[in-house]
Amino acid sequence: MMKPFEYFRPTSLKEALALLNTYGEEATLLNGGTDLIVRMREGHSSPKAVIDIKHIEMLRKIKVTDSEITIGACVLLNDVGSHPVIRERVPFLAQAALSVGSKQVRNRATCIGNICNASPLADTATPLLALDAEVEIYGEAGVKRIPLKDFFVFVRKTVLKQNEIVTSISFNTNKDAKGIFEKMSRRKEVDLSTVCGTVFRGKDGYRVSMGAVAPTPIRLYKTEAYLDAHDLTEDVIQSACEVAVNEVSPISDIRASKAYRQELVHLILKHALSEWL
Amino acid sequence: MKTEIHFTLNGESIEHEVEVNKTLLKMIREDFDLTGAKEGCGAGECGACTVIMDGRAVNACLVLAVEAEGCDLLTIEGLSGDQNELDPLQSAFIENAALQCGYCTPGMIMTAKALLNENPHPTETEIKAGISGNLCRCTGYKKIIEAIQSVADQNKA
Amino acid sequence: MKFVGKSVKRVDGVKKVTGTLKYVDDIKLSRMLYAAVKRSPHAHANIISINVEKARALKGVKEIITGDQFERRGGLYLEDKNFLAVGKARYRGEGVAAVCAETEEIAQNAVDLIEVEYEVLPAVTNAKEGMKPEAPLVHPDLGDYHWAPVFFPKPGTNISNHYKLRKGDAPEIFKEAEFVVENNFYVPHVQHVPIETHTAIAQMDADGYLTVWASCQSPYAVRQALSAAFDIPLNKLRVLSPAVGGGFGSKAGTTLEGIIIPFAMHAKGRPVKLTYSRQDEFENAYVRQGLHAAIKTAVNKEGKILAVQNEFIWDGGAYTEYGVNIAKAAGYASAGPYDIDNVWTDSYCVYTNHPVGGPYRGFGMSEIHFGIEQNLDIIAEKLGITPVEIRKINGMKPGGTTGTGEVVTVSGLMECLDQVVEDIKFYERSEPSSPTKVRGKGIACGWKAPSMPNNAASSAIIKLNEDGTAHLLVSAQDIGQGSDTVMTQIAAEVLSISPEKITIKTGDTDHTPYEWQTVASRITYSAGRAVYEACHDAMDQLLDLSQIKLGIFKRDLELRDGYVVSKIYPDKKVSISELALGLNFEDGSAIHGPIIGRGSFIPPNIRNADKKTGLGDHPVVFWTYGVQGVEVEVDLETGQTKVLKVASCFDVGRVVNPQLLEGQIEGAIVQGLGTALFEELMLKEGKVLNPSFVDYKIPTADDMPEMIIKFVENPEETGPFGARGVAEPAMVPSAPAIANAIYDATGIRLNTMPMTAEKVLAAMQAK
Repeated sequence: MMKPFEYFRPTSLKEALALLNTYGEEATLLNGGTDLIVRMREGHSSPKAVIDIKHIEMLRKIKVTDSEITIGACVLLNDVGSHPVIRERVPFLAQAALSVGSKQVRNRATCIGNICNASPLADTATPLLALDAEVEIYGEAGVKRIPLKDFFVFVRKTVLKQNEIVTSISFNTNKDAKGIFEKMSRRKEVDLSTVCGTVFRGKDGYRVSMGAVAPTPIRLYKTEAYLDAHDLTEDVIQSACEVAVNEVSPISDIRASKAYRQELVHLILKHALSEWL
Repeated sequence: MKTEIHFTLNGESIEHEVEVNKTLLKMIREDFDLTGAKEGCGAGECGACTVIMDGRAVNACLVLAVEAEGCDLLTIEGLSGDQNELDPLQSAFIENAALQCGYCTPGMIMTAKALLNENPHPTETEIKAGISGNLCRCTGYKKIIEAIQSVADQNKA
Repeated sequence: MKFVGKSVKRVDGVKKVTGTLKYVDDIKLSRMLYAAVKRSPHAHANIISINVEKARALKGVKEIITGDQFERRGGLYLEDKNFLAVGKARYRGEGVAAVCAETEEIAQNAVDLIEVEYEVLPAVTNAKEGMKPEAPLVHPDLGDYHWAPVFFPKPGTNISNHYKLRKGDAPEIFKEAEFVVENNFYVPHVQHVPIETHTAIAQMDADGYLTVWASCQSPYAVRQALSAAFDIPLNKLRVLSPAVGGGFGSKAGTTLEGIIIPFAMHAKGRPVKLTYSRQDEFENAYVRQGLHAAIKTAVNKEGKILAVQNEFIWDGGAYTEYGVNIAKAAGYASAGPYDIDNVWTDSYCVYTNHPVGGPYRGFGMSEIHFGIEQNLDIIAEKLGITPVEIRKINGMKPGGTTGTGEVVTVSGLMECLDQVVEDIKFYERSEPSSPTKVRGKGIACGWKAPSMPNNAASSAIIKLNEDGTAHLLVSAQDIGQGSDTVMTQIAAEVLSISPEKITIKTGDTDHTPYEWQTVASRITYSAGRAVYEACHDAMDQLLDLSQIKLGIFKRDLELRDGYVVSKIYPDKKVSISELALGLNFEDGSAIHGPIIGRGSFIPPNIRNADKKTGLGDHPVVFWTYGVQGVEVEVDLETGQTKVLKVASCFDVGRVVNPQLLEGQIEGAIVQGLGTALFEELMLKEGKVLNPSFVDYKIPTADDMPEMIIKFVENPEETGPFGARGVAEPAMVPSAPAIANAIYDATGIRLNTMPMTAEKVLAAMQAK
């Protein structure tokens, strides 16, 4: 059962920020709510003020330019997954967005929510990490952009301050770049990732990211460096996979053992790289 | 603490005072006695509470009632016509024996309804993926998929 | 036949597709109160004290109860259980106190304020360990408990039942056998996972009349249990089960009803409700108990099984509920559907500090067949014969004898086997979808008898209305299996009126007649037979009146399309509507009065087996035989198994409704698939680690295989139109067939369920 709270429906960022300032630590932002409402029901979160940001019009848009895509904070995962430009330029992100939860969940849950929850296995985090995405944050000092890779701190922890709001996430797109997302889960549909990952190859080299293998979704810089330094062959793929397996630090839990997660890291990387042989 | 909200429920304009910490599911079940949507898990994992909100299937247990402000809500009770004539999906579920205990059925039909609105001619794979957020423990799903497929085929004809 | 054998549409269909059927949680009564339960955080602990003062002080709290207020133990077979823990908690999550309050929220808040002091005791978290003499005792007072005399608890140990079967002389055969194969298997705890969680409402009138609305499979059994527990005479206790959102056994007995009744007794007419959350359901509702099985088989070089020796150790949990009977049923079925002369079985139900074992679809059978059917494939491979051949050699045929020595007169097992081998194309290979995947096929047989007391009875009433329609009253519960439709079809067939003219009413102990329980795949058979009898009784009355009216001998009359018609002169007839309230004469007088048909049924001649040997010539009502064949594709890289296709064939005696029957089999296959690949209630020190759908995965539509469903019909002579039960048996071969197919594909044999991707991969790598 949810503890009582005050509910606010600001229509501007300024208004939302004012509410955050008023209620301090006792305020929480409500976006899609698919995680927050469960946490509130289970008593893991008992905010005094719930600030529903979905009525802030500017947060609901996907902006597209020739070289950049910006996804607003309140854009639904299903809308990310079905957006024609996203599907064309970064299909692996669309695929990741559509791999989260069920159709019903994705009709409420947002891409930014998926990121801000900072789950180690956030499905949209690995494509966005691989895209070198930047998070736009609105706060007292105005707007700032920080790289997604610097956004995650730990399990469910980000650099976001209490009185800051993520307004969007942006990334550059490039026709020549390719990415492959793969999610491994116990059940194919509606399951959490046992491991998920994105392997990306752009004009400046490889970017590899994995989820559920560390306290946060991570980039595998050593693996990337190894790949950047070698021409792709079967042997290089094998060695790269070994580098990757050593670079991750998964835990054993009820979903999988550490060893199995390492296997999956190996497979995700191998599958993607083999496509480009 | 209550707040007033305005929304459309099965075609009817509603003004309603609701506790802010109440889910949409609780509101439609308790305040409006529309008990077709069920709480199977309370965590958005089973789909038994599925309703259609502004044309999209959502888990009513994962939505606060106050979030319905300005929305158009359709529940299973709003699916059949004024003279109790069944929606083609409802008829197809009966015709195909696509239900057993019936507890998942309203949610399943609402998901299927939204799916067919969005994609009138889904493939079997699309149907399977589309309803995978609705758990059914009785049927083994085969007849549910056949029922949805039969309505999709009617759409084609 | 007109209606039996036809896919008559579900009579409950419209209510279910419109969402207008009211389940218990949908019922809203005025001035409802709500209950919540304080639960033990320890698997095994003495309750030193319970302080309810803070909770009681909370505004809106009506009453708080603790277990020591209700010391009388209850139980269907072995009286070992209280509705709330008395003295000590025996599993994590056991209720130790309960609150009744104005709202659910207040009740929950009050529960949080109850302070319980525990003395933690060493816990039994493994049934095999629990059997050892040095194990802590879960029920030290077992010797003082009452139990039904067909069970054999061992006071001073954790053994709640030791079932023995001794047919022939197995030990002697093992000494001389050419081949002896021994294998161990483990089946973990799983859950039923009905989409509707357990829920109940209780209300007591000023005159002490108690009404209970419960989502339950067996209103009469619940009435009996509650009557005994609370000393309420049966005529003052009404149990209603308006609709059941899935049971699979989990709602066979009482669960939470006993917690709310004490509140209702003091609530001055206010109803009290308790609904389990999904987490409660996973942690506190019944589970399918775990099984450690050791199977030893002696076989000659031709593939004939000469002897089997089984040891089954059941992790029964903190209380037995059904556990003792599961151990018994598994014991007498332990030979499997095979004709084996020498059988030696010990089946132990063991108390542990785990969730309580209850009946789950085909109880005992799915678990033991996981071992039996894999063991058979292992033997076949050793002998160089096929899985089909070994089943042909040993499979039960008419004239064979079961493990208990019963001579089998009806078995369609061989026909089922042939059908499945053909439908799954057992000897053909299909191409995998990728070079990193492999395919394989497996088959498994299965059998099951209704595991119920010998005298499990059914009854039915049919009331004719003056317009020629009828009301059928039974207490067989439609828990989704379609019994309302099947009962209606049987009545329609006998009375020769269309099913639309019959309204069925169920689930109300005040108004619908006795039914033992809706379990054991017995409803079509037993309740169906009672309906058949009731309708024949009504028919008899109609013919009696018609012979007066028409002047035609009763033997020459029959029911046809709403009329009593002369078989010889079809134009001589009288409508049943004219006779529904009796026969009227021209002088204005009348005789007989309303036509009410009454049917009662108890399976004939079911006799107890011998206590020492377990042998008996007719210990069960019938056996249902069937076979499933499976094709799987295993991903060599990830270990993930995809079940592609399942072919199923069962001998159901008589198909009453083909479409509903297919639905039973399809549902059972996918449930079996879930247990085979995903499902396990993960327990650590008695704690359920995965009490939600996030980590307890059941199959989705995407996991559904292609299914080919066939039936053979060798009639059960005591069943209505020859029908026997199949809803549970259908799940029995599913998991072992998948295991056998995984072996066929990969060469790895997993002796434990579930066969997760990780386990399969690890086994492939270890090979």
